[in-house]
Amino acid sequence: MKRTSLIFVAALLACAWRDADDPRAQVRALADAGKLDEAERVARAGGPALSGALGDILVLRGKLAQADSVLRVAVTADPAGRRSAEVALAELAYRRGDRADAFRRAVALTVAYEQGASGWSADDRVAAGRAYVLQSARNAPAVRQALAAFDNALAADSGNIEARLRTGELFLDKYNAPDAKISFADALKRSPEHARALLGLARVADFENKPEQATLLKRSMAANPSLVGAQLMLGKSHLEAEAYDSASAAARRALAVDSSSMGAWSLDAAAAYLTGDSTEYRRALAAARRLNPQPSDFFAELAEAAARQRRYADGVRLAREALVLDSSSVRALGLVGTNELRAGRMDEGRAVLERAFAIDPFNLWHKNTLDLLDQVKTFRTIDRGHFRVVAPPDEAELLTMYLVPLMEEAFDSLSKRYRYTPPSTVRFEIYKRHADFSVRTVGLTGLGALGVSFGPVLALDAPSARERGQFNWGSTAWHELAHTFTLGLSNNRAPRWLSEGLSVLEERRARPSWGADANVEFLAAYQAGNLRKVSQLNDGFVRPRKPIEILHSYYLASLVCEMIEAEYGTKALVDMLVAYRDGAETPAVFARVLKLTPDQIDAKFDTWFRAKFAGPLRVVGAEDKEGVPSGAFAATMGKAVSFMTAGNADSARALLLAAQAMFPDYAGSSAPAQYLAQIARDKGDLREALAQITRLTARSETSWEANALEVELREKLGDTLGLRVPLERMIWISPYDVPVHVKLAENAAKRGDHVRAVLERRAILALDPPDALDARYQLARALVDGGDVASARRELLGVLEQAPSFEKAQMLLLELRGRSAGGKP
Amino acid sequence: MKFLGTCLSACMVLAAIPAQAQQTHVLIINGLAGEPQYRKAFHDVAQTLADSARRRWGVADSSLIILSEEYAAAPTALRASSTKAEVGKAFLALSHRASPADVLLVFLNGHGAGEGPQSRVNLPGPDPTAADFSAWLAGFARQTVVFANVASGSGDFVPVLAGRGRIIVSATKTSIERNETIFAAPFVRGLTGTEADADKDGRVSVHEAFTFAKKEVARSYENDKKMLTEHAVLSDTTLARTVGFGGPRGSRDPRIIALAGERQELEAQVAALRSRKATTDPATYERELERLLLLVAEKSKAIRDASAGGKP
Repeated sequence: MKRTSLIFVAALLACAWRDADDPRAQVRALADAGKLDEAERVARAGGPALSGALGDILVLRGKLAQADSVLRVAVTADPAGRRSAEVALAELAYRRGDRADAFRRAVALTVAYEQGASGWSADDRVAAGRAYVLQSARNAPAVRQALAAFDNALAADSGNIEARLRTGELFLDKYNAPDAKISFADALKRSPEHARALLGLARVADFENKPEQATLLKRSMAANPSLVGAQLMLGKSHLEAEAYDSASAAARRALAVDSSSMGAWSLDAAAAYLTGDSTEYRRALAAARRLNPQPSDFFAELAEAAARQRRYADGVRLAREALVLDSSSVRALGLVGTNELRAGRMDEGRAVLERAFAIDPFNLWHKNTLDLLDQVKTFRTIDRGHFRVVAPPDEAELLTMYLVPLMEEAFDSLSKRYRYTPPSTVRFEIYKRHADFSVRTVGLTGLGALGVSFGPVLALDAPSARERGQFNWGSTAWHELAHTFTLGLSNNRAPRWLSEGLSVLEERRARPSWGADANVEFLAAYQAGNLRKVSQLNDGFVRPRKPIEILHSYYLASLVCEMIEAEYGTKALVDMLVAYRDGAETPAVFARVLKLTPDQIDAKFDTWFRAKFAGPLRVVGAEDKEGVPSGAFAATMGKAVSFMTAGNADSARALLLAAQAMFPDYAGSSAPAQYLAQIARDKGDLREALAQITRLTARSETSWEANALEVELREKLGDTLGLRVPLERMIWISPYDVPVHVKLAENAAKRGDHVRAVLERRAILALDPPDALDARYQLARALVDGGDVASARRELLGVLEQAPSFEKAQMLLLELRGRSAGGKP
Repeated sequence: MKFLGTCLSACMVLAAIPAQAQQTHVLIINGLAGEPQYRKAFHDVAQTLADSARRRWGVADSSLIILSEEYAAAPTALRASSTKAEVGKAFLALSHRASPADVLLVFLNGHGAGEGPQSRVNLPGPDPTAADFSAWLAGFARQTVVFANVASGSGDFVPVLAGRGRIIVSATKTSIERNETIFAAPFVRGLTGTEADADKDGRVSVHEAFTFAKKEVARSYENDKKMLTEHAVLSDTTLARTVGFGGPRGSRDPRIIALAGERQELEAQVAALRSRKATTDPATYERELERLLLLVAEKSKAIRDASAGGKP
C-alpha cells in the first residue's frame, strides 16, 4: 500500500516537472485555473509555435475573429498543435452557422486520421474525436468513432486529461451518466480539483437528480472562476428556481469571460423573456444573431426555459422558431414534440418526436416517450362531459366511473371560485405503471410525483401504480385539476408556491379528510426555522435544502393561501393569479393585491400560523439536525409506544390520552388515536374504538387499515348509515377491493340509494370478478330496484344466454315479466 | 330433424337422472409443512375440501381419506400420517371401494422436489415419486381419476400421470417453478363454492374450478405487483369439462324427472339459438332468446314447486 502511494506521488511529480517545462502545458494549466490573461500572455510569448494554444485561449475569451486568424497560422506554423487548430477552426465555423465549412474541415481531419494515425499524438487523436463529434450532428453513428478516437488518445497517453474530459462530456451528451461519471472521476484522479471534471460530475449529479451537484458546481467555480460552462449551469439552476435576477447575473458573468457564448446570451434572453423584459431580450437576440445568423439553439434554449416554467404553448412556439432556423435540430424537434404532447396533440407530437429520433437514436427521452406512446395506443379513451379519460383498458371503465363524477364536481366548484373555464376538454391520462407516468412527465423514470398538470392535460398514477395506502387518487386528481384552473387563469405564470398551495387548499375543501395536514415533523421544522418565509416560499419547491422540505412546502403554501382567503377573501387569491398573468412578480403581487411588503406578509403569516397552531406548538419543539422533533408530545408518545411494545396497554393508554390532549387533531403516522383504537378494540369497547379511529379517518386521506377498522366497528355496532363514509373513503384509496364495493352496494340498497347501488355493482363488474355472472345478476337486481327495468332485462338476458340454468336469474326474469304484464310474477 | 329432436330429448332425460351408482372417492394428502404458516394453510385447504366432499358432494365417510403429518400421533383408518406407506394403503383401500365409473379425486399439497418421473412432494419419511403415484393409479383403470398436485414444482407430475380417464392438475408448469405456490386455496375455493360455477348449473366442473383458480392466481400476483412464478396446468380439458362435483341431488319423482328433461331440452334450444346468433337478426334473436329463457325459467319454477310438494 505504502509502496504504491510512493510510486503514484513520483508519477505526479514527473508530470508536474514535464508540464513546467512545456509552455503549451503551462498555457493549458493557466487556462484550467481561469487565469486567461496570463495564459494569453504566455501563449503570445511563445510565437507561432504556440499559435494553436493561443487560438484556444482566444476562443475561451470569445475573441472569435482573432482566434480564427491565429488558428489558421497554427495550421501551418504549429506542428504540434495543427490538428487541434484544424478542428478548432471547424468548431468556430459551426458556431457561426457555416456548417459546410465546419463539416468540410472535420471530414478532412477524420479522413486523414482513418488513413493512418500511427504517428498522431494523443492531442491529435483528441482532435480527430472532436471532428467526429462535430459530424455526429448530421450522422449520429459518428459518436462511436469519436469515442474510439478518444480511447486511442488515452492509449497513446494515459495521462491525457482532455481525452478523458471529452469522453465524459460525450457520454453525458448522449445520456450515459454512469460512464460519464467514470471518465470525470478518472480525470480528477490525475488532476484533483480540475474545474471541467468537477463541472462534468456536477452535470452527472444533476442528470441523476443527486443533491451533491451544488457542491460540485461550487468546487468547479472555485477551481476556475472563468469557466463559462459552470456559470451557465448555475444560471440555469437559478432560472429553474424562478430566480431570474440571479440567472441574469450568471449570464453576465459568463459573457464577461466570453462575449461570444451563445449559451450565455440564451440564458440572458430566457431570464429576460420570462420576466417580460423585452429590451434586454431584444439585445440578447441581436447579439445571438451577430454570432450566428440562424441561432436555432438560442430559440431552443428559450423554448426549454419556457416549458420548464410550465409555459408550454410558448415552448412550442419558440421551439418551432428554432426549427425554422434548423429543421434538423434534434433539440428543437424534441421540444416541439414533447410540448405538443403536453398540450394533448398526440399525433402531432409523436410525428415530430419520430423525426427527432430518426436523427438521434441515442436520445433516451425521445425513445422512452415513443415507447410509451406505443403503449398508450392500446389504452382506452372514454369521453364524458368535460373530460377525456385515457387509461389502460382493464382499468379505464372502473376508474372513469368514479373519476368523472368527482372531476365534474371539481370543475363546477373551481370554475365558480376562479371565474375561469378551461377552453377545451381536459384530458386525463392514467398510468398503472409509475415508470410510465414518469416518462410521460419528464421523459425518464424515477419521478417521485403522483400526478402532473400540463394545463389541459393531466397525467396521473393509477391507484394500482402504487402500494395501497401510499396515496389517495381522488385528492390527487382534484389537486391536478385545480392546477388546470390556476395555471389557465394566470396564463401559466403563477409561481409554483401559489399554484401548489391552492391545489392543496382545494383538496382540503373537496373532502374533509383530503389534503395535507399539520403533523409533528412539519411543526418541528417550522419551530426550527427550517421552512421558508412566505416571500421566499418558492425556494422550498425549487431549491429545497432537504427532500422533506418540498413536502412541507406544499402544506405551508396551502396555509398561506388559507390565510389570504381568511383575511382578504377568495377574490384576493383570484386577483393574485390575475396579477401574475399580467406579468407582475411576487413582491409586486403582494403589494397590489394584499397591500403588503414581503416582510409584512412574512410577519403577518407567522402571527397567523402561531395563533392557528398555538396548542400544538406548545408541545412540539424544534427538530434537531437529523430532523427529529423535540417537545412534550414526542416524548410522551415515545414512552407510550414503549409501553405498547412491552404489552403494557394500561400504562400506554394513559400516556396516549395525555398526548392526544396535547395535540387533538394529530392524524399523522403513529397518532395516539391509532393505538387507543387498538387498545379499546382489544378490550371489547367498540364504541370507544370507533370514537378513536374516526379521529384518524376523518383527517387522514390514505389510511386504508383505519377505514377498514371503522367499517368493521360500525358493522358490529349495527351502524348501517355510518358505514357509507369510510367505505367511500376506501374507494379513493384503492378501488380494487371487491368486498368494499359489495358492502357499498348493499349499504346503498338498504338506504334506498339505488343510483349508488348500481354504480357499485357496475364497479364490481369492471373489476372482472371471479363470478362475473353472479355480479351481472346483482347488477340486474340493483337496476330493477332502481326502476330501470329495461336495462335490467338486457343484463339478465345476457346472463341467461350464457347460463340458462342460473336459477336466481330465471326468477328475476319471471319477476320482470310479471311487472311488465302488470301482474305478479 | 324430428328424429334428432327425439333423440336429443331422450338423451337429456337420461342425463337429467344422476347416475345413482356413481360415487366419488376423495384422498387428501398433505405433505410436510416445515413452517407453522404452511401447516395452517395446508390444514385449512384440506379441511375445506373434506367438509365440502362430505356435506355437499355426499362422499361417504369411508371414501374420504385424509393423510397428514398432524395425524401421526393418533392414526385411524381414514386419518393417518402422510407417509409413503400410508399413501399406498389409502390407494389400495379406495381401489377396493371404487366401482367402475366412479370418480377418484386425489388432492396432493405440500412442497415439491425432484423432476420428471422422480418428481415428488416432501412427505414424512421417504417421498413417493410421480412414478410411484402412477403405479398406485393403475388400480383405477376403470374409474375417472382427478389428480391435483397443488404443490410447488408439481408440473412434471402431469406427463407422468396423464392418460385415458385421467384429469391431472398441477400448480406449476414444470418442476422448475419451485417458488411457494398459491394455487391450492383458489382451486379448492372454486371446487367447493359457487363462484367458479361459470354456467350456473349448480355443479362445478374440474375445468371451471381450474379456470377460476388460474385467474385468481394471476390476479393475486398482479395485485402484489409480482412476476407470475406459477403457471398451472390441466391435462385433459375436454374430460375436465364433463367431470364435476356438487349439484342438486337427483329426484326419483317421475314428474320432476320429466320436467327436468323438458328444461334440458329448452336449454339445448337456447344453445342452438346462440350458435345462430351471428346470422340472426338481433331483434329476432333477442325476442326468441327471451321466449326460450322464460320457458326455461317456468320449468325451473315448476320443478321447485313440485319438489316442495306443490303442483308443477
